[in-house]
Amino acid sequence: MNSARETESSARDEAAREHARLAAAMAHGDREALGQLYDLLAKPLYSLALRVTGDTSEAQDVVQDVFVQLWHKAADYDPVRGSYFSWAATLTRNRSLDRIRMRKRRSEIIQTSAADIGPAGDANLGSDDALWLREKATAVRAALRVLPPEQRQAIELAFFGGLTQQEISAHLGDPLGTVKARIRRGLLRLREALSNRL
Amino acid sequence: MIREIHQELAALYAVGALDGAERSGFEQLCAGDPELQHLADELCETSAALALTSAQVEPPPGLKRAVLAAIEGRDQAQSRPPAGPIEFFPRILPWASAAGFAFAAMWFGSRANTFRAEAEAMRTQRDLAEVAYRMSQAQLGERTLLAEQMIAELGQRLRRTEDLSRLKITALASLLGNTLETKAIAVWDADQQEGLLSVEKLPAVAFEQDYQIWVIDPQYPIPVDGGVFKPDGEGRATLTFRGDKPIANASAFAISLEKRGGVPKAEGPLVLLGRL
Repeated sequence: MNSARETESSARDEAAREHARLAAAMAHGDREALGQLYDLLAKPLYSLALRVTGDTSEAQDVVQDVFVQLWHKAADYDPVRGSYFSWAATLTRNRSLDRIRMRKRRSEIIQTSAADIGPAGDANLGSDDALWLREKATAVRAALRVLPPEQRQAIELAFFGGLTQQEISAHLGDPLGTVKARIRRGLLRLREALSNRL
Repeated sequence: MIREIHQELAALYAVGALDGAERSGFEQLCAGDPELQHLADELCETSAALALTSAQVEPPPGLKRAVLAAIEGRDQAQSRPPAGPIEFFPRILPWASAAGFAFAAMWFGSRANTFRAEAEAMRTQRDLAEVAYRMSQAQLGERTLLAEQMIAELGQRLRRTEDLSRLKITALASLLGNTLETKAIAVWDADQQEGLLSVEKLPAVAFEQDYQIWVIDPQYPIPVDGGVFKPDGEGRATLTFRGDKPIANASAFAISLEKRGGVPKAEGPLVLLGRL
């Protein structure tokens, strides 16, 4: 068990170092580094964009925009603030939500966000995928499963649906204070469950 | 130690549930609090990991090529070399000049139209931005007003609470057989050096008599005179009173029956007594 954890931790650290190295190379104009980074991150970022937008064409546009942005802003990445994957995933989420907001009115987004946020579904990660990605995805899914459904729902409506706290409260018909507390408790619990695993 | 309300803001920030103004406010808060910034970074890392709960789908094979081409195209556009010098052909110079003028006129005409259209579009954008700015300003004004009202209300509540907390209240008990049904409440405000007495069903007194209230302060050997009063026909009286000396620590109130106008030192029977 310890050995498995050590392997996992080592793969994760190695991946983080590799991402940071590639980002630094991109900052110096290394196009090959961009190609390598694409091979490592395109699948999870595309999957995220697809889940948020629900449209393959939009998801492709988002991913293209994100990688162009990663290329031009490579020098802005600060490893102290978090992992490169986290930075890229946040960019992808924000870009995806911008796309939805361009084509839908706010009221439509709020009304349909619960339906639009698809279930987590199967990880669909095989041996071809990097070890860090498989391990990380498994850990996050396991941690999310143990959250109470109302905490998970509030977090997912915010993260994947792009709803503000007030919109979540109105959408669920729950008091704002309850929504805030659910998000706080849920996220702190996730952080605890994933400590040393991200 | 990070307060719960800040934890809450950090969590809402990390999942993107704060609106624009709230987000900016929180970022400013973090700028002055490294511990909070660290928590926010950790929670952002946690929430970003949620991306991996999506069903993993392979991107289309052509996407990588499109990404690389997009970067190549932009970079080329940014680093395109300037055009070389125009070659000089003396024999066709007049024709070339005329054609050049004609072409330039057409080109400038076309560019002028384009610029006009672009200027129009920019004007529209500017107008829209101005409207959005005014709306934001109005919203901000409303929020500021609301916040000021809330602060004022909270201040009033706090003052009321502080006022109440410094008051001393006592119910005075009967010491005589004919005042068993009397109800008397006295309140003392040490800061204001003032008291309020309210009595009901106090027996009437003769013309040549008054009730006199006394404040008992251990620093004085005898009770301090608080003034005289007479109840109305139904035995009711409400009066504010002050000691005729400064009161440092009011420990009790007493009411005695004295001759009309009161006395400097209690002589008559004690009617009511209440300890603080």
